[in-house]
Amino acid sequence: MPSDPRTHLPLTPIVLHILLVLAEGERHGYAIAQEIESATNGQVRAGPGTMYGSIQRMLTAALIEEMPAGRRGGTDDDGRRRYYRISSLGERVLALELQRLVDVVRIARDKQLLREPRPV
Amino acid sequence: MRLFDALFAAVLLIFPRTFRSRFGGEMRDFARRRIDDARSLGALAALGEAIRLLADTLAALPAAWLSLRAERPRGIASPPSPYPRDHMDTLRQDLRFALRALARRPGFTIVAALTLALGIGANTAIFSVVNAVLIRALPYPDPDRLVLVWGTQGSQVGEGVVYADYLDWRARSRTFTDMGVFRPQSVNITGGDAPDRLVGSFVTASLFRTAGTTMAAGRAFTDAETDLPTKAPVAVLQYEAWQSRFGADPAVIGKTFTINGTAFTVVGITSPNTPMPLFGAPDVYLPIPYYPNARGFDRGERGVMVLGRLAASATIASAQRDLDAIGRQLADEYPATNAGTGAAVESLRDRTVAGTRASLLIVAAAVALVLLIACANVANLQLARGASRMRELSVRAALGAGRGRIAQQLMTESVVLSLIGGVLGLAIAFALSRALVALVGAQLPVAPTDVRLDGTVLLFALAVSVATGLLFGLAPAWQATRRDLADMLRSRTPAGTSARTRNVLVVMQLALSLALLASAGLLTRSLIALQHVDAGFDGDHLLTAQFRLPATVYDSPEKIWAMYDRTVTELRAIPGVTDAALVRASPLSGNGDPVPVTVEDRPTAKAGDAPRMVLNVVTPGYFATMRIPLLAGRDVDANDRLGGPGVVVVNKAFADAMWPGASPIGKRIQAGSDEWLTIVGVVGNSKHFALNETQALQGYIPHAQRPQIFTSIVVRTTGDPLTYAKVVREAVWRVDRNQPVWRFRSMQQDLDTAVAAQKAIMWLTVSFAVVALLVASVGIYGVLSYTMLQRTREVGIRIALGAHPRSVTRMVIAEGARLVAFAVAAGLAASAGAARVLSSQLFGVRPNDAVTFAVVTVVLAAVAILACYLPARRASRVDPMVALRAD
Repeated sequence: MPSDPRTHLPLTPIVLHILLVLAEGERHGYAIAQEIESATNGQVRAGPGTMYGSIQRMLTAALIEEMPAGRRGGTDDDGRRRYYRISSLGERVLALELQRLVDVVRIARDKQLLREPRPV
Repeated sequence: MRLFDALFAAVLLIFPRTFRSRFGGEMRDFARRRIDDARSLGALAALGEAIRLLADTLAALPAAWLSLRAERPRGIASPPSPYPRDHMDTLRQDLRFALRALARRPGFTIVAALTLALGIGANTAIFSVVNAVLIRALPYPDPDRLVLVWGTQGSQVGEGVVYADYLDWRARSRTFTDMGVFRPQSVNITGGDAPDRLVGSFVTASLFRTAGTTMAAGRAFTDAETDLPTKAPVAVLQYEAWQSRFGADPAVIGKTFTINGTAFTVVGITSPNTPMPLFGAPDVYLPIPYYPNARGFDRGERGVMVLGRLAASATIASAQRDLDAIGRQLADEYPATNAGTGAAVESLRDRTVAGTRASLLIVAAAVALVLLIACANVANLQLARGASRMRELSVRAALGAGRGRIAQQLMTESVVLSLIGGVLGLAIAFALSRALVALVGAQLPVAPTDVRLDGTVLLFALAVSVATGLLFGLAPAWQATRRDLADMLRSRTPAGTSARTRNVLVVMQLALSLALLASAGLLTRSLIALQHVDAGFDGDHLLTAQFRLPATVYDSPEKIWAMYDRTVTELRAIPGVTDAALVRASPLSGNGDPVPVTVEDRPTAKAGDAPRMVLNVVTPGYFATMRIPLLAGRDVDANDRLGGPGVVVVNKAFADAMWPGASPIGKRIQAGSDEWLTIVGVVGNSKHFALNETQALQGYIPHAQRPQIFTSIVVRTTGDPLTYAKVVREAVWRVDRNQPVWRFRSMQQDLDTAVAAQKAIMWLTVSFAVVALLVASVGIYGVLSYTMLQRTREVGIRIALGAHPRSVTRMVIAEGARLVAFAVAAGLAASAGAARVLSSQLFGVRPNDAVTFAVVTVVLAAVAILACYLPARRASRVDPMVALRAD
């Protein structure tokens, strides 16, 4: 299993969003989908197939982990659901991806391709 | 909704087991929460969300399967290709491609969409009826807890209940939360400008509680008002009757009306559309003590019906045991009346839908077959198209699309096509369901407005569309992934899609069509046989009507008979009337009861095993009026008076059964009572309850000797019988100004109603069979056309070598005939199976009737061979120069 985080880049949008949510703490599947939807203002609306298909692939790639039963916390406590959290590999991959995106935006700005909203 | 849950669970079954066991529960939870959130925005939003969830889940399917085969978990990076990299994008792109591909071939798309629309629309329409009748039939609160309790006497089940027994059951049982009594009967309402008749129901206060009836105004009965000792003359109106018969008078509560000669005060109005068991809602509810049961409410006198609500922990079996135990106690306490009696508990749902369930399921199966045939057609169309798409798909493969991806895309196309067909099908479904209600609405135990395209039906349409799309999408998708597509670009051989698959599909279509045709044929012969049944009487120019005398006014047999005698005289005096009589139960009216009969000197072993006879009560001249032949002895006449020696006229079936070869005149029988009746005449057999009944034993006693308050009028007229309704009513009013007469029907109407259900099923099945045959013919035409197109070179060579065009035609037709032969073999087997399923609906024709099978086989073969003719002619016209030059 490759532990070099760079082999995982670039991330697909849904994987990126899931990592962004889990970077804040552990969540269960539905909560992840809800947060993504509100954070992107409804642009990214993942269904159960997308969600759990991605979760399965991220588990296989060790970017996220399933929480062992019994260790729950926070206000979303629900004994029935499975909670997921980001792994250390996942944190590194996320950091690298965000840096990659920042680099791309910088290139675009240098070329004056990016039209940014004017500050009020 | 439960239906969505089931659908989602079914979709999850297509996923790999490891994936399903790991994530299945969470995914269902997820979907459920999404639907619940969407539901707060309305039903349409929920439906849209349901579609999205299903689409998203299905889109994740290929990846879930393909990920099973990953040997090493690779990095989660996506390949550096222009293709989208997550499911939602994939789905959106697939949708765009699908719509574009369908738009590029409008001919194919329109034909396929219309074929599917027909199949899906028909299925949805039938489902809306099934939904209303079988699934939603009981609009009571918690309807599966409701049961009917019948009385049993020895081995006879389905009897009315003894009121006193009901009181004991209610008091002593532990498996019911409540029980109530109901007894529908027509009641006379007088005091207005004309006497009228209402449909009444005599009930206990507990009936409203048991059925969960709510009131729109006023109140229901109190227990005291419906108990025998403390009865009160109060009435509750049914909402719809309040609107139509009482003018929606807002001040009707507290008003008094004269019903059956007694003044009743209205205390309440039920909510709209209140359901009542078995007979539908009456116009007015009255307390049971006012039921004009001539024999009162003593022990041993049957006459009421009971509705019960099971306790939460009870089942029908445990309730049955409970009542059996109580029955045994009662038999000990009252051996004279209750020996050998008991109770039978039946689920209300079973009783309500029983009559229609078989017919509905037959029709549903037939229409499902039509959809299968339509699917096969579209699959064939796609396979034929598949060859020309190979090039396009090969290019995609070369550009990096994996096999799974291409298969996914083809499936998406199929499902999109199917959904388009489904949406078009909704219009067809709406029209068809309206037509069905118009055609058979009277036979269904639900109101016409209950048959509608509601949420459940729409979800069914969606599910059928998706399933159909997946079904006919399988063939081309599987075909596309079987070959190495990139190879195909390099070689120049024309892509030969397997002719065998298409041939198999066509054979299947034709075989199913044959099964449908055979079913239609058998049902048609049944109907014809039914319509030719000799009813035993002449139904032409015959008018029937009914009336019931108020027991309070006509409180002695002499008064009743005097009224009847004068009525017959008045009826006979009407100009245009050639004959008239009174009879307790006219044929095919649904009235009449079988009673046990005992023959003198031939005692029967047990009370419950005596033969049963349909006992009718007639005035002199009834047989002449009905044109039932008098075969021996005499009719009842004026000498058979009240208090005189009891006489009876029996039918031929009874005479032959009891005294074969000898005359029954002078012999004595007991029928339904202890009185000995002397047989004075024998008449011809006639049908009483239904045209397809086995001939019943019938007996007729004079009205003069048994003047009951209910009777029916039969009048033979010279003109159209229904135009005589007014003068018949006036004739009765000349005898009693306050007597309402109702249910004016011509006997022809009753005869038509008797076959209406069979006729409807027959027409439906015939329509489906014709549609199926047409679709299958188009199918075989398409397949042969395409096969011949592929073999253009071969045909060109043959012709160039001197083959006569006619031999080419023969070759093509032989090819078609081969398919038809296989189809007939398979189809006959399917037909035999279908016939066995149908056997309960058949009349006058055996399920394996050779003539019917032979005829439909010939029809199918003829139509199919005809469909082969066009491609055959085209093939024979091939210009060898053109054919050989083409590459």
